[in-house]
Amino acid sequence: MIILGLLGESISFAINSLVVNKLRTFLSLLGITIGIFAIIIVFTVVDSLEQNLRKSVQSLGDDVVFIQKWPWTFGPNYPWWKYMNRPVPEYPELNQILSKCDGAQSAAFMISTRITVKYKSSSIENVTINCASHQYDQVKNFEIAEGRYFTEIESSSGRPVAVIGDVLAKALFPNQNPIGEMVKLNGAKVTVIGVFKKEGESILGGSVDTEVLVPVNYAKSLIDIRDEDLDPQILVRAKPGISNDDLIDELTGLMRSIRKLHPLTEDNFALNQTSLISTQFDSLFGVVGIVGWVIGGFSILVGGFGIANIMFVSVKERTNIIGIQKSLGAKNYFILSQFLFEAVFLSLLGGMVGLLIVYLLTLVAGDSIGMEITLSRSNVILGFTISILIGVVSGFVPAYGASQLDPVEAIRSN
Amino acid sequence: MQASIKRPALIKIICIMGFIWIVFSFPSVFSPAIKKMGDWYPALFGLIVAASFISYIGVWHMKRWGVHLFIIIFFLKETLLVLVNDVNYIGIALSFFFLFTMLRFYKRMDLNL
Repeated sequence: MIILGLLGESISFAINSLVVNKLRTFLSLLGITIGIFAIIIVFTVVDSLEQNLRKSVQSLGDDVVFIQKWPWTFGPNYPWWKYMNRPVPEYPELNQILSKCDGAQSAAFMISTRITVKYKSSSIENVTINCASHQYDQVKNFEIAEGRYFTEIESSSGRPVAVIGDVLAKALFPNQNPIGEMVKLNGAKVTVIGVFKKEGESILGGSVDTEVLVPVNYAKSLIDIRDEDLDPQILVRAKPGISNDDLIDELTGLMRSIRKLHPLTEDNFALNQTSLISTQFDSLFGVVGIVGWVIGGFSILVGGFGIANIMFVSVKERTNIIGIQKSLGAKNYFILSQFLFEAVFLSLLGGMVGLLIVYLLTLVAGDSIGMEITLSRSNVILGFTISILIGVVSGFVPAYGASQLDPVEAIRSN
Repeated sequence: MQASIKRPALIKIICIMGFIWIVFSFPSVFSPAIKKMGDWYPALFGLIVAASFISYIGVWHMKRWGVHLFIIIFFLKETLLVLVNDVNYIGIALSFFFLFTMLRFYKRMDLNL
C-alpha cells in the first residue's frame, strides 16, 4: 500500500513537471508524434488496401479458375509474342468442360464490353455489360437485391432480359421500381428483371454496382461473341474439397484434349486464378510496409533521442530537489519511477497524438476516396507499444542516474 | 553518484554486446514480420526488449537486480520463441554464456537498487 502510494506520488510529480514546462513538453513529444504517425499511417493504409484487395479477390471467387487467352502474370519478361497468336476460349468449349471435368462444380462462359444504356431521356455511357451463360450465378459471387436471375429458358433462348447494378438502377430509375421496365442497350430493348445487391467499390475495378448482365445467347444477336476484344473467358468453380491446383491440373489435360494439342506442343490457353493477383499485390504491400517501417523507425529513433535529452536536462535542473527529497527519506525507486514515469508519459502522450491524427485522417480519407480505411486494433496496440517502449528505453538511463545521486552532493548543486 | 563497484572487463563486454543486440532488436518490434504473428506479439516483444535493456543497465552498474531481471527475461523470451516455433540455438547458447558470466560475478554485485 505504501509502495502504491509512493508510486502514485511519483506519477503526480511527473505530471506536474510536464504541465509546468508546457512548451518543452510539446516540443519533446512532437518527435514521437511524427514517428508514431509515420509508422502507423503506413501500416494502416497497407492493411486497409490489403483488406479491400482480399474482399475484391473474394468477390471474384478464390476457388474459381479463369480459362483465358492471356495469363495474369506481369513483369519485364512477359512473352506476349507467344500468347498473341493463341485462340480465345469459345462457347462450345464450355459444354465439353461441363460434361467432362470431374473437379468442376460448375462453369460459365462470359464476355464483356462497354455500351450505352438508355431509359427514356436518361442515358449512361461506357457501362460494362457482361454477357454470360446460365451457370454464371453458380461461379460468380453476387446477390440479387430486387427481382430475380435469368431462368434456364431465358438464358438458352436468348431472351432480351437484364440484371443491372444498384448504382445504375438508382441513376436510371431515381424514384421508381426498375423491375419490368425496358432499357435500351446500344439501341436494343431489354427488360430489367433484377437488380444486384450493392457491393461497393472494388480495388480491382469491375464492381457489379455499375454493370449490366445479359444472357450470352441474347448477346449473340447484338455482338460477335468470338471477338477477341470482348475478352472471352470460361470461369470454372472447383467442387468443395477440390483444390485449385487439382482443378488446374485436370483442366490443363481437358483443354489440351479439347484443342487436340500434340504432347510436345505448348498450352495455347491460360488458366488464371485470383491468387495470382493477390500474390503480386502481397509483394508490393510488403515493400511499402518495409519502407514505412524504415522511415518511421528513424523518426522514432530521433524522437527517442529527443526524450532522452530532455530527461537529462530535467534531471540536471531538478538535482537539488532530488537531493532534498532523498534527504527527507525518498527511496531510490521513488526517484527512479518519478523520472521514468515522466519519460513514459511524455512518449505516450506523443504516441496518442500521433494515433489521433491517423484516426482523423482515416475518417477524412475514407469519405473522400470512397475506400474503407480503418485504424485497426493491432495498429493501435502497436502505436502504444512503441510509445511506451521509447519512453522506457530513453528515460531509464537519466532516471536511474537521478536515483543514484548522493543527497548531499545533489543539494549542493546549482 | 554513489560509489560504484569496479566493473570487470567481461561484464563490460557482455553488456556492450547486449546493448548492440537491443539496438538491432528495437526496430524489429514494429517490423511487419512480428506484426503478422498477432496483435499482441509486438507488445510482448517490446516488453522483452525494454526489460532486456533495463537488465543490461543493471548489470553494467553491477546490480544484482540486473541479473534477476536477465534470468526472467531469458525464460520469457525463450518461451515466446518456442511458441512461435523460432528457437535459435546460437541465441540460447549466447544467453547462457552471458548468464554464467553474470553469475560468476554475482557475489561482487550490489544488492540495492
